[in-house]
Amino acid sequence: MNQNLYQPINGKIVEIIDESPTIKSFVVEPEEEFKFDTGQFVELTLPGEGEAPFTPSSSPSVTSKMDISIMKAGRVTALLHECKAGQKVGIRGPYGNGYPVDDYVGKEVYIVGGGVGLAPIRSLFLTLVDRIDDFRSVVCRFGARTPDDFIYKKTLFGSWQKIDDVDIKLTVDESKGKWDGNVGVVTTILNRDDVNIANAVAIVCGPPIMMKFATLKLLEFGFGPEKIYLSMEKNMSCGIGKCGHCMLGKYYVCKDGPVFTYDQIKGYPNIWD
Amino acid sequence: MQTVFTRELKPFLDAIAEQMEVYIPKKAGEHYVFKKYDPAAETPLEFNNIRACTPTKEFLFPLREIAAVFPEPLEPKDIKPFTIFGLKDCDLRSLEILDKVFTEEDFKDPSYVNRREKMFIISSDCSNPADSCFCNVLSGHPFAQAGFDLNVSQVKDGFIIEVGSEKGHDFIKEHSELFDDANEELLEERKTNRAETQNQLEQNNADMKFDAPVNEIVAKSQDSEVYDEEANTCIECQACTRVCPTCHCFYLYDTKQKDYFSKMKMWDSCMRLSYAEVAGGENPRKVLGDRLRHRFMHKFSYFLDRYGIDMCVGCGRCVDAEAGDVDIRKVLKKLAQELKGKDKSKAKVAK
Repeated sequence: MNQNLYQPINGKIVEIIDESPTIKSFVVEPEEEFKFDTGQFVELTLPGEGEAPFTPSSSPSVTSKMDISIMKAGRVTALLHECKAGQKVGIRGPYGNGYPVDDYVGKEVYIVGGGVGLAPIRSLFLTLVDRIDDFRSVVCRFGARTPDDFIYKKTLFGSWQKIDDVDIKLTVDESKGKWDGNVGVVTTILNRDDVNIANAVAIVCGPPIMMKFATLKLLEFGFGPEKIYLSMEKNMSCGIGKCGHCMLGKYYVCKDGPVFTYDQIKGYPNIWD
Repeated sequence: MQTVFTRELKPFLDAIAEQMEVYIPKKAGEHYVFKKYDPAAETPLEFNNIRACTPTKEFLFPLREIAAVFPEPLEPKDIKPFTIFGLKDCDLRSLEILDKVFTEEDFKDPSYVNRREKMFIISSDCSNPADSCFCNVLSGHPFAQAGFDLNVSQVKDGFIIEVGSEKGHDFIKEHSELFDDANEELLEERKTNRAETQNQLEQNNADMKFDAPVNEIVAKSQDSEVYDEEANTCIECQACTRVCPTCHCFYLYDTKQKDYFSKMKMWDSCMRLSYAEVAGGENPRKVLGDRLRHRFMHKFSYFLDRYGIDMCVGCGRCVDAEAGDVDIRKVLKKLAQELKGKDKSKAKVAK
């Protein structure tokens, strides 16, 4: 008998962390060892209620549990936000292609992120930092709506900033409370001189509108479309390239993505919607 | 290929029914549907001249089924061997397409594979094609080319049965008392019948002779306004995708039972407004014209890119089922016309 691709692995939520007014991180412990590549996604089932796709935000080097940061956006995510530690869940995956980290060796990695888009980026960031000597530098430009909307505040405002060869700049759309940093959308802190474009790759993950304008800005800086890696958010359901919901042109985002280069998808209609 | 002859269908189908469940064509209104065969029933057997109005996919990929049960997994259901008598060339080609999707190397769909392995295929020749049939435009034929275990062709005095597989061969060998040899004369009659039907199809679809391959016409239509115009006549009933034998989109949803949870799999349609919508509300195809465009691009361009064949067999079921006024043939004709116009104006510019 074939392995049933729709069968979830049983697991449970062991810890829930409030990250921002709309985002919580769930530490999920599967009953069996779970390996994934950074940037791949999983389908998380709330039994009897529904399933939704998320990219783990933890490092793939940990296989006994994973962190999944979830923004309250729809029916299933709202129900997840009401869950308590101990809640049983199902996990399917990992699915798709993650970030081709080995292709980034020797390069400057320019990461542009916003909102809950920092979730996949955190996993990538931790992966890069684990072997930081392999890369020339890791340059991060992150944005959030307000200072309180940043997730992973403790590390983002603290320890990550102190890592050698890592350069982080943050911005908020709207300054509320204590904030002495930049105010403006993330493209306002992107600078042509942030990295040596000839030897850099760019990673973009965030809300669609931010991904669109960040990508346009990067192209304007001179990044080749094949050097810009986008983590696409579509309606991934089966995870195995069959049910059709996540199709983006000829691609199944779940199977061929979710990480694509801009070059791969630029010819298709409505990619940012 | 080995061919045999029988005057009557009943003994042949009765012999099959001893080994497996048999589904036979029954006229329902002006169309055929498949019903379970009861050898004891007195009703005469019907020979369907064209494909049934329902798609073959429902035998392999039912409208709704359990995809998974947890926390304790469910033992896979034991599927009994079954056959459908009267599948047509378009149906067999639709199976080839579904096989590509559901039996892919690392991504096999267990229940599809399970059913497919238990399926014995008895196809039959078409005669008197429907107005909506246009298989010939997409390299189909009114008789099966491959992919059957046995194929039945009606002739004046009975039926010619052709063997298409080892399983089919074994059946004929085990029941040799039911069959005579099909002589040259009979085979000649079959050949004439087939040529006549093929000819009739070509006449019916004479206005679908295109200057470029259909794939090329559709692949170049990404920016065409034809889809938006046609969308004005679509009432979003989704019937086109439901009756389509190759459309295979599905929807996974979760249910709670008394002592277990299950993940269900149900047919879905890319024509549905919220089909591609994500939780945040973004939707790459919120405009109906874009959904129509995607459906055509998927059928004639994207699927070909991935699997090397078209995802349309020209069975015309969508034409019959359509409650609005979107006719796949009309759309292709309009796109072909538009491309011709574009090519002409390009040629002018080049001059």
